Amino acid sequence: MEGLSDSMSKRSFPLKDLFRRRFQTTVTVASLTISSATAFFLLFFGENIGFTVTLLTGGKVTIGFSYMFSVILLIITLLTFLTGVLMISFFISLAMSERIRDVGVMTAVGCVTDLVFGYFITELSVMVFVSSITGFILGWFLSIASVNILNSFRFAITQQPINVWIMPYVFLAFLIVPLLIGTRVIGKALTIKPSKALSTSFSQGIPAKSMVSVPSKFGLTFKVAFKTLARRRIATRQAILCLSLVFALTTVSLTGDTIANQTTQNYVERAIQRNVVVIAHTDISRRYVDLLSIFSETRETEPVNYSDPRFFIADSLISRLRVIEGVRKIDARLMLETKVYEIPKIIIEPDRYVVIGDERSSPALILGLEPENAVNDWLISGRSLNKTDMYSAMLGHTLAIGILANPEQQMIKILNKDFGITGVCQDPLNNGNVVYVPLETLQSISGQTGYNLILLQIDSSNFSQTLDQIREEIDGQDLELAELNGVLQKHLNLLNTGWSLVTLAPLFSLITAGLCLSGYVTLLISTQQRDLAIIRAIGVKLRAVIKIVVVQVLIIVLVSGAIGLSIGLLISFFLLPEPVISIASILPVFLWFFAVLVLLSVFSLYPILRTVKKSVIKAISEL
Amino acid sequence: MGSSREPAVVASSVSKEFQLGDVIVKALKDVSFQVAEGEFVSVSGPSGAGKTTLLNIIGGLDAPTGGSIRVFGHDLNARDEDFLATFRCAYIGFVFQSYNLISTLTSLENVAFAMEIAGWPAKRAVKKARKLLKAIGLSHRADHFPSQLSGGEQQRIAFIRALANDPPLVLVDEPTGNLDLKTGLEVVKILEGLREEGKTVIVATHDQRIIELSNRTLRMLDGRIVGFDE
Repeated sequence: MEGLSDSMSKRSFPLKDLFRRRFQTTVTVASLTISSATAFFLLFFGENIGFTVTLLTGGKVTIGFSYMFSVILLIITLLTFLTGVLMISFFISLAMSERIRDVGVMTAVGCVTDLVFGYFITELSVMVFVSSITGFILGWFLSIASVNILNSFRFAITQQPINVWIMPYVFLAFLIVPLLIGTRVIGKALTIKPSKALSTSFSQGIPAKSMVSVPSKFGLTFKVAFKTLARRRIATRQAILCLSLVFALTTVSLTGDTIANQTTQNYVERAIQRNVVVIAHTDISRRYVDLLSIFSETRETEPVNYSDPRFFIADSLISRLRVIEGVRKIDARLMLETKVYEIPKIIIEPDRYVVIGDERSSPALILGLEPENAVNDWLISGRSLNKTDMYSAMLGHTLAIGILANPEQQMIKILNKDFGITGVCQDPLNNGNVVYVPLETLQSISGQTGYNLILLQIDSSNFSQTLDQIREEIDGQDLELAELNGVLQKHLNLLNTGWSLVTLAPLFSLITAGLCLSGYVTLLISTQQRDLAIIRAIGVKLRAVIKIVVVQVLIIVLVSGAIGLSIGLLISFFLLPEPVISIASILPVFLWFFAVLVLLSVFSLYPILRTVKKSVIKAISEL
Repeated sequence: MGSSREPAVVASSVSKEFQLGDVIVKALKDVSFQVAEGEFVSVSGPSGAGKTTLLNIIGGLDAPTGGSIRVFGHDLNARDEDFLATFRCAYIGFVFQSYNLISTLTSLENVAFAMEIAGWPAKRAVKKARKLLKAIGLSHRADHFPSQLSGGEQQRIAFIRALANDPPLVLVDEPTGNLDLKTGLEVVKILEGLREEGKTVIVATHDQRIIELSNRTLRMLDGRIVGFDE
């Protein structure tokens, strides 16, 4: 009976200790909860907005534009996860290093190592388990709430169930990583001799000499703030590392989002071009518009018999259109739909051969065009077709990913003819299942002699006047004129909506940054509480003490901000092929970023004021 | 002898209560006394008698919950933080029991810092701080941080930091409590020097050597004054 109660008391002692050290326990658990809740929220939310985390799900890389959404979201999620883990390790190592003295006391009074280790590991496990569970639940509820709020603003997001393939691993990671880090710190503390652990030089730590001296003209506040940061080098380095990562995450989220939005919009705009109209037989024209529209809306499309002689356009029409003043470009095409086959490539090496690709096939839209007259500019890799090309093709991104292993090395077969691949383009037409080949080549292999579609690019200055003239020319010829500006606008709107959903992730990463900074400041102040109280005791006014801390926070925020911003920008630029960046679009991002930094610094003033205002006597005697 | 001089400290019915959970602890109960300018007063009594609380109230670090305290003519009751900070900077040199040096500043910087906040130009403050360190035989420790110094060395630096601005009132809390006999003697010598200079000093102590130096000894027990002997 005695043995049982003894063991019960041993077990309940760590719990009692956690309750007695209420402030420290709350700060640690709250910081861990916030870190895990943010990461869980982004994972849940990422699932809900429809872009699954490709690496974690092991899913196939999605096509074309949605691939870019996935990449951005994946990077944001990974960065969030990393930041969460880093923040957790930061808080755990800080929380546990505060206990080194207690470890010293316990070993000094004769507690065996196993008991001390068990005691601290129990405390740590309780804190980590509680915060992981709370973070998971909080993240899930936040995600549900966000989806409901967004849906009330006319978004249509489906609430996804918890991904049982990812979440257990993430949950385990958030459980195991802090425990491993904490175990390391506790283990390290146990190797320190009690006499050393109890000495003031160990508990206070010997400050490092600062490399840079501050000129006296900088004023006392700056000097003290700088010296404090420079001499608490380990804590400062950890804080800068942690905040830099958070700021990098925020930058990737904000700029990546802006750049990706601008880039994808630019792809679509270049692929369709503004002020372009289609002239073709009604069936062909509708088919073309339908195939172009399926990028942003579902359409029932009727198959077309492309060999119907009624669809072919007379050469004389082109000559007449050419003399209309507002017509800038005439792009006559032969359009047909057929299957495209992959041709595997065999590479012979000295002692073996390697087969690249398979024998896959896919239905696709084939367009024969005169490369020099093409109105579009949609190339993303390789080169465009040129005048001298014969059996060469340029593939839409979706088709290239769908049926080829390596577009740079492989060939395709269309209508029993082999085509080399010059490049890959990002094209919304037929959702990227499209092949561009030279007009003459397509005419010769398909046995068709003319063209069944004309794209006209019209000068924007007298657009409607030119349209009227064109309509007059095609009047009575069973031809239809379709404007593509409307379709283009629908696509751009779709992309904007998509990116505005992804933009919610950066907003939450900003909240993470805020909470991280606030947590750091609370820790910074609590570790300096004694020094700040001494400074006040010898006659420094409260305002000056607040200034010292604010300067420290500003230095940390600015240094981390500069590092995080640079890393974030670099990552953002590498994420997208040929990113489109304009100063006008990036400038608001920078302004937002700095506004947020300032806001966060102000936000973090609350814990500063709360701690610094504490009575001098209380602050000195508490530590 | 105290009555012939202008009082430096006037405490009238000072009381101080602390709330510790559900319990109210009365640290000072109806404490009244005067200390004249130039007097060397020691405050003695067992642990928990209220010595440190009394010094904190005189030094403007803490406010009484009852009664009034006047130091060099300044009423310290219900004053705002800024006034008290300026007051401490101008009038008080405080030597704490646990030294309370700023952990991230070197010995030299700790002393110079106290002078800089009193308005000394940085270069002059550093020069004077070096001189003071030399005077107490610690110039070789100028660039050491508090955690790299022994208790006695920290105590001596705490003394010169408190005295650097030549304050009219020096408050010293248990200066020899944490020191060995030899180091304690060095501290006693410093206090002897202050007495000879005619500085107003109030020392909370158990140390008989310091009590013997005093003009008067204020004896405390359980928050009350039980004697104020010459």
